[in-house]
Amino acid sequence: MGRRWGVAAGPWRPLAWVGVAWVALWGSASVVGRSAAAQVPHRSQTEPVVVASKQFAESYVLAEVFAQLLEQHGHAVDRRLGLGTTELTFQALVRGEVDVYPEYTGTGLVAVLKESPSGGSAGVFRRVSDVFEARWGARWLPPLGFANSYAVALRRSTADSLGIHSLTGLARAAPELAAGFSPDFSGRTDGLAGLSDAYGGMQFREVRNLLQAVKYRALAEGQVDVIDAYSTDGAVARYDLAVMTDDRAFFPPYDAAPLASRRFFEDRPGAVLVLSRLAGRIDEDVMRRANERVELGGAPVAQAASELLAEIGLAGAGSGAGDAVAGRDGGTDSRSVRALPSHMWANRTALGRQAARHLFLVLTSLGAAVLVAVPVGVALERRRSAAEGTIRIAGLLQTIPGIALLAFMIPLFGIGATPAAAALFLYSLLPILRNTYTGIVGAAPGAVEAGRALGMTEGQLLRRIRLPLAAPVVMAGVRTAAVINVGTATLAAFVGAGGLGDPIVAGLALSDPVMILSGAVPAAAMALAVDWGLARAEARVAPKGVREQGR
Amino acid sequence: MALIEIEGAVKRYGPATALDGVSLQVDAGACVALVGESGSGKTTLLRAINGLTALDEGHAHVRGEPVASLDPVALRRSIGYVQQDGGLIPHWTCLGNAALVPSLLGMADAAERGRNALDATGLDPTIFGGRYPRELSGGQRQRVAIARAVAADPDVLLMDEPFGALDAVTRFEAQEAFLALRGAAGVTAVLVTHDLAEALRIATRIAVMRAGKVVLEAASGDLSAEAREEAARGNGYAAELLKKSGVAA
Repeated sequence: MGRRWGVAAGPWRPLAWVGVAWVALWGSASVVGRSAAAQVPHRSQTEPVVVASKQFAESYVLAEVFAQLLEQHGHAVDRRLGLGTTELTFQALVRGEVDVYPEYTGTGLVAVLKESPSGGSAGVFRRVSDVFEARWGARWLPPLGFANSYAVALRRSTADSLGIHSLTGLARAAPELAAGFSPDFSGRTDGLAGLSDAYGGMQFREVRNLLQAVKYRALAEGQVDVIDAYSTDGAVARYDLAVMTDDRAFFPPYDAAPLASRRFFEDRPGAVLVLSRLAGRIDEDVMRRANERVELGGAPVAQAASELLAEIGLAGAGSGAGDAVAGRDGGTDSRSVRALPSHMWANRTALGRQAARHLFLVLTSLGAAVLVAVPVGVALERRRSAAEGTIRIAGLLQTIPGIALLAFMIPLFGIGATPAAAALFLYSLLPILRNTYTGIVGAAPGAVEAGRALGMTEGQLLRRIRLPLAAPVVMAGVRTAAVINVGTATLAAFVGAGGLGDPIVAGLALSDPVMILSGAVPAAAMALAVDWGLARAEARVAPKGVREQGR
Repeated sequence: MALIEIEGAVKRYGPATALDGVSLQVDAGACVALVGESGSGKTTLLRAINGLTALDEGHAHVRGEPVASLDPVALRRSIGYVQQDGGLIPHWTCLGNAALVPSLLGMADAAERGRNALDATGLDPTIFGGRYPRELSGGQRQRVAIARAVAADPDVLLMDEPFGALDAVTRFEAQEAFLALRGAAGVTAVLVTHDLAEALRIATRIAVMRAGKVVLEAASGDLSAEAREEAARGNGYAAELLKKSGVAA
């Protein structure tokens, strides 16, 4: 099909020349850099290069391409595929926690710099290169050779019957159509809002947020009429979609390029040079084929990436792949849920590690929450006027959606296990605090009163009456917190903390239900096991004289 | 000299005045019942004796020493206390409950004292010692509470509506157990009750309280006569109370 839609789909070739010139210039400089490095061996030369990706198939494939190419040239690689959204991944790069990830010039311009596009592909590339370097020291390496623009697509039958082929036409027909957009698209100024401005209003009958994984199916089944897509989407051809031409040139050019951190760029000239070899070599067809293999063919990302490298003549000898995306059963065409046991068995080592990681996150955050919330809950008994306010604050924390709480933690703790454990810790506070307080306050007030009247000290009342009687209630709070944590910890994968969320996030990005389930099923089993174990502990800590009563 | 002396006691809770200048003396060996309607200040006055109520004005003396200057924990361990719901510690056995104060005092024979106290209230320690409070009837629980209050042989016993929650027959049994115990030990007791018949039955002296004040104090046997005299002087409250409880015409 004609794929010349979107303003940036065409002009990658001139950009490639810019890239080649860039490499030529920079390559000569790097010779000097390398000889200097040879004399004074830099410690970081032996550290693995941290390669990250965002959470959609193309980003995974490109990051894996970077990783394999680097490994071919003897650089160790630490893969952080599916790290998070643009904001999160870029922040990690700025903080030096990520060395390089695939990014798009249009995204850099609009989502990061909040500017509106002007000057075409080359102009946008120059603009983001200049500003990113000046502001953050981040460097755009030469563009890879294709653009992956946002696009808006309809079922061909719908488009034909309405007779619309452009976004102008779509704007007119919008009130009769239901749209299903990825949250990214409906939320960003270079997405729906900007589109609506540019075309004088795009008022759809209904706009739903749909994940990549379900968008195409929802469109094919007629549950929505319009979706956002990418120009290199494998599914556009597969589902026979009509892509609306951007007749007012709204969408900025989205040329793909490796985005490198300051530290990586300055300390690792050899690795930068390796990645620069990709300049201008991946065209739109090559990229779309690789995406198709992953999204529709169920091929492992590592396999799609090495095939892509072979196609562009940069194949090496063998490659590794990250945990989350390893071994998708050899790329069988479509996988039913029945493939789950064999998939899980094949990935048992990685799943075991992820489950251990998951449990570690849950237990550390829970342990810290117990250490804080139990003493505070006990102390509040003697300051009951402060209790309600304190518990309400803890309750407020609980109402913050998990993903938002994780996002709040990133400026404080960066990415990885720390922000995830911190968020889980905050989530655990309320159930434990509330139950400790109510348990202590409600522990046989008559007995406490009599004990005090007979000369028990406050410490004796606490240790010998209140705490033993409150113990099952406190344990019930710990149990609630633990079960919530096991579930919420799956979101930790969005901030690079690992755990059973890794296969879930990767599966969502790659539209692979089996991969999603391979994380979700063990997480559910873990939640049940934790619930069962702590229920038993709860029954066990109930003192003998009050056991079975009302439970 | 009186074992317990209260002088001009005032206690306010916010705008409400619970005690409005009460004075009361309790001689050693006496059993004084504080009688009155709810809200008259009986419990507040009782709790001033073991320091659970801190007085705003006036003072309370026990054994000649001011309550406010004594260590409250040591004071309370030296005074028995029984409250309406018993207040037994639910996850301790009856013996554990009964031996509480002796063990707080570090007495070597705490368990023995607990057993003796149970026995003295009519509960066989070999049967009831190992049971938990919820395995007992209401009357049995209240007897354990009394046993707990007297196990360390205090010279003073404070009781706040000790039989209030019991049905008539059980109440009678518990009162009997208390009378037997008091007769044997000769303990000085202060008892809060809203039941004049009960007060007349087990107390040697009766103090009628109203709105934070003692309006009439008399020996049990003289109460009716005193109340009539009061009524003749124009203060008919005590007489009215006697009439309402059906103990006097």
